[in-house]
Amino acid sequence: MAEQRLVTRTQFPASAESLKPRLKKAPEFPILEKQNWLIHLHYIRKDYEACKDVIKEQLQETQGLCEYAIYVQALIFRLEGNIQESLELFQTCAVLSPQSADNLKQVARSLFLLGKHKAATEVYNEAAKLNQKDWEICHNLGVCYIYLKQLDKAQDQLHNALHLNRHDLTYIMLGKIHLLEGDLDKAIEIYKKAVEFSPENTELLTTLGLLYLQLGIYQKAFEHLGNALTYDPTNYKAILAAGSMMQTHGDFDVALTKYRVVACAVPESPPLWNNIGMCFFGKKKYVAAISCLKRANYLAPFDWKILYNLGLVHLTMQQYASAFHFLSAAINFQPKMGELYMLLAVALTNLEDTENARRAYTEAVRLDKCNPLVNLNYAVLLYNQGEERGALAQYQEMEKKVNLLKDSSSLEFDPEMVEMAQKLGAALQVGEALVWTKPVKDPKSKQRTTSTSKAASFQQPLGSNQALGQAMSSAAAYRKLPSGAGGTSQLTRPPSLPLEPEPTVEAQPTEASAQIREK
Amino acid sequence: MFYTPSSELPTHLILRNQLRQVFFPSLGIHLPRPPQLFPSSPSSEASSKWLDAHYDPMANIHTFSACLELADLHGDGEYKLVVGDLGPGGQQPRLKVLKGPTVLSESPLPALPAAAATFLMEQHEPRTPALALASGPCVYVYKNLRPYFKFSLPQLPPNPLEQDLWHQAKEDRIDPLTLKEMLEGIREKAEVPLSAQSLRFLQLEPSEMEAFVNQHKSKSIRRQTVITTMTTLKKNLADEDAVSCLVLGTENKELLVLDPEAFTVLAKMSLPSVPVFLEVSGQFDVEFRLAAACRNGNIYILRRDSKRPRYCIELSAQPVGLVRVHKVLVVGSNRDSLHGFTHKGKRLWTVQMPAAILTMNLLEQRSRGLQAVMAGLANGEVRIHRDKALLSVVRTPDAVTSLCFGRYGREDHTLIVTTRGGGLIIKILKRTAVFVEGGGEAGPPPAQAMKLNMPRKTRLYVDQTLREREAGTASSRPASALCAPPQPCTGPSRQTSTCCASGPPVPTRRPSSPA
Repeated sequence: MAEQRLVTRTQFPASAESLKPRLKKAPEFPILEKQNWLIHLHYIRKDYEACKDVIKEQLQETQGLCEYAIYVQALIFRLEGNIQESLELFQTCAVLSPQSADNLKQVARSLFLLGKHKAATEVYNEAAKLNQKDWEICHNLGVCYIYLKQLDKAQDQLHNALHLNRHDLTYIMLGKIHLLEGDLDKAIEIYKKAVEFSPENTELLTTLGLLYLQLGIYQKAFEHLGNALTYDPTNYKAILAAGSMMQTHGDFDVALTKYRVVACAVPESPPLWNNIGMCFFGKKKYVAAISCLKRANYLAPFDWKILYNLGLVHLTMQQYASAFHFLSAAINFQPKMGELYMLLAVALTNLEDTENARRAYTEAVRLDKCNPLVNLNYAVLLYNQGEERGALAQYQEMEKKVNLLKDSSSLEFDPEMVEMAQKLGAALQVGEALVWTKPVKDPKSKQRTTSTSKAASFQQPLGSNQALGQAMSSAAAYRKLPSGAGGTSQLTRPPSLPLEPEPTVEAQPTEASAQIREK
Repeated sequence: MFYTPSSELPTHLILRNQLRQVFFPSLGIHLPRPPQLFPSSPSSEASSKWLDAHYDPMANIHTFSACLELADLHGDGEYKLVVGDLGPGGQQPRLKVLKGPTVLSESPLPALPAAAATFLMEQHEPRTPALALASGPCVYVYKNLRPYFKFSLPQLPPNPLEQDLWHQAKEDRIDPLTLKEMLEGIREKAEVPLSAQSLRFLQLEPSEMEAFVNQHKSKSIRRQTVITTMTTLKKNLADEDAVSCLVLGTENKELLVLDPEAFTVLAKMSLPSVPVFLEVSGQFDVEFRLAAACRNGNIYILRRDSKRPRYCIELSAQPVGLVRVHKVLVVGSNRDSLHGFTHKGKRLWTVQMPAAILTMNLLEQRSRGLQAVMAGLANGEVRIHRDKALLSVVRTPDAVTSLCFGRYGREDHTLIVTTRGGGLIIKILKRTAVFVEGGGEAGPPPAQAMKLNMPRKTRLYVDQTLREREAGTASSRPASALCAPPQPCTGPSRQTSTCCASGPPVPTRRPSSPA
């Protein structure tokens, strides 16, 4: 203490002397960590240029001995994408202070980023020996194991990480593992816990919402997506998913207002433009719909859903030749879907190519398992060709499917379809009226009918979390398109040239946004 | 030596003051008209809560919030701004004292200042606060802007083994190569790190070792650490003008509390990592809570009598600022978000910022009992938050590097902002201004009101569409030929053409009965 007093109580003349150590014979060594604080401040403020200057100065002064300067330099290299250089520098750090788990963690992290997951796990295990209770090590080990396809080990490590300290990221990775294993329920369980832990994390909320959507639990899906949008009204995934649900319910204006936000943030998203297009389709603005769908198609030329929608809109526009092209392109990418062949057949029928239309119908009937529409359309074609027996067979097939659907869900059928079926039934002199026990009361509810009846059949295996958002949104969008078509099928007359450039599009935003505000 | 009061003002400031000095009677500050008005329209100026008092883009102030301090240095009721200036490029550290828009005094510093703080050292009158500047391993204390005292951090205990080795070297009982081997052994395992001297020695080529040992062997080995952050803590009274201790954070992961009069170390606490920001509440003699944001991305919370952290907040990002608002710890992270935590480390809320947070500080409006956090962003905004709610956004022309709010001159509520280019902005909060929640942005995002950028269709497109409708069948023949041989157009006329039964995806033109 006395010595310290001496030092501390020294007045300025004495300190002035100590400021000129260079005059002494043996040079004083600069304090190695002299400017570490400054390096750190520049680093966290992302002022990397200034940071590099200080690091350079510091390293020159200490002849490369300042560990923290090297450490931050390596971090900056990594941010700049020079991962190999960063790895080498972190290894230098690990040599300078071999007892530090932090250096090893960074070495492993760089290895991980270089794709050397095996090596990374080894270094992480090494680091774990130095620091037992670090959630980050456990978490990163878990992530490495995911990439090494050792999902069990990954789960163990991630649970360890959660045990040490709960972090959103760990929950997300665990959920991903369950999705990779195809276990939706477990994934939902994890995400539920995660949302409980951090109820404001929009990524967690969105993912949970999408999972519910995938399972068809729409109420919960909408709840979580809505929550996500409350915290972050510009969340791309949440808006697309929520918008597609709104579209399913026919709230095209509200969906469009929401999409406008995304259109600003992610203007080149194919699912977005697809959904916008189908909104316009639902609003019977066909030219606008085609514009948007064509943009979506331009952005993602291999997406069959967009092609499907384009085909559908062109059918509605009576541009059967164009419809034929889009549909046959869609079939090239998705040859396993009955509905596509049916639409193709409709286009062919209108192009007066009955022969090929029949072939397409045959294929459609072969592939489709649950949509009565396919059989009905085929029956009509056969009937018009004078093949009553074939028509009758298809008609009975349709009745089977209708009965199946009626049993499995409390759905209502499109009145137009019902009407057509009844007419056909009468023409074929089949006992009727038993099938369609539920007459449609509300024309609006019908929109849900066909869309949900299809929903089950088009679930796609969804892989990664990221793809999930996109796939879900466009799948949802796709799912509702029949509803849009359901709307058009009400038209008993050719749509009265909706070809004039659409002036109404601009008019809606205000009223729609007003709606939102009222909400 | 380290303080030479400069009597002359920078020439460009004098010039400007002579040219157009305007006196704001109500403000009590002599302010020249801002050389350049803010990019704010007159209407927003009128409705704004802030008066633009001063803007000098060339003020040449490069600093951090930790080095900005407002204090009544002379005890005359006129608050001055103390700036520990790093100088352009961190080359010319200076202590600047500003009064109004002018630099009152400027003196060079021996090393870069890490933090500045003003505090009352003793009870007697006149109660003028002392100014402490932390720089390297020392705290320089000024009174009345005169150097008063220098405190140096105590030396760290050297590694006994290392000391022993050098002792042997001094007596020439050990040759340089063995010394090197032994030192390397210590570096591999030892808890106490080696001194700079040994580390340098380990780097040498064998040929240089002999000379190095001869030159340095007579010196005792020393380990010195540096101050990374500093703040003040009331000693035993909660009053605003109570005596305060200095709290120092050091590079060797320790926190020191200094006695305000004797400058002895009253308490020492150790942390798992190097502290970057400190936030203290309470009184040293009674009870206090200390939050330290550290370089490993964690925030440790300590209390009196705890030598080690009681609670730990793992941010999984780097903290860029730490402010206590009432009982909530507000932390800014380098992932562009603000988090609120309780004193036990439980997360309360998170707010996303539109740009990187560069600095944070407390805004306190005592007359209205308001405490809020200010965050300076890389996009030039200063966002003021009370918990989650955005109260106000102040826009500045450059990225904000440091922030400070308080009494300046004779004006109670002044906001001092410095920008990346070295600019200085002084704004005064209007006395009528009331912060209300939702004063910033609320409601749907602005993008929602924007028109969709839709591709337009041309007349040609419309014509083509019509043509396809008219002659679709004929024009498509070659196309469908790809899939089937063309057939003679023997079908019925359009009038009687059968449109198949409609279902949702089938647009029926004529759902006439097929019978």
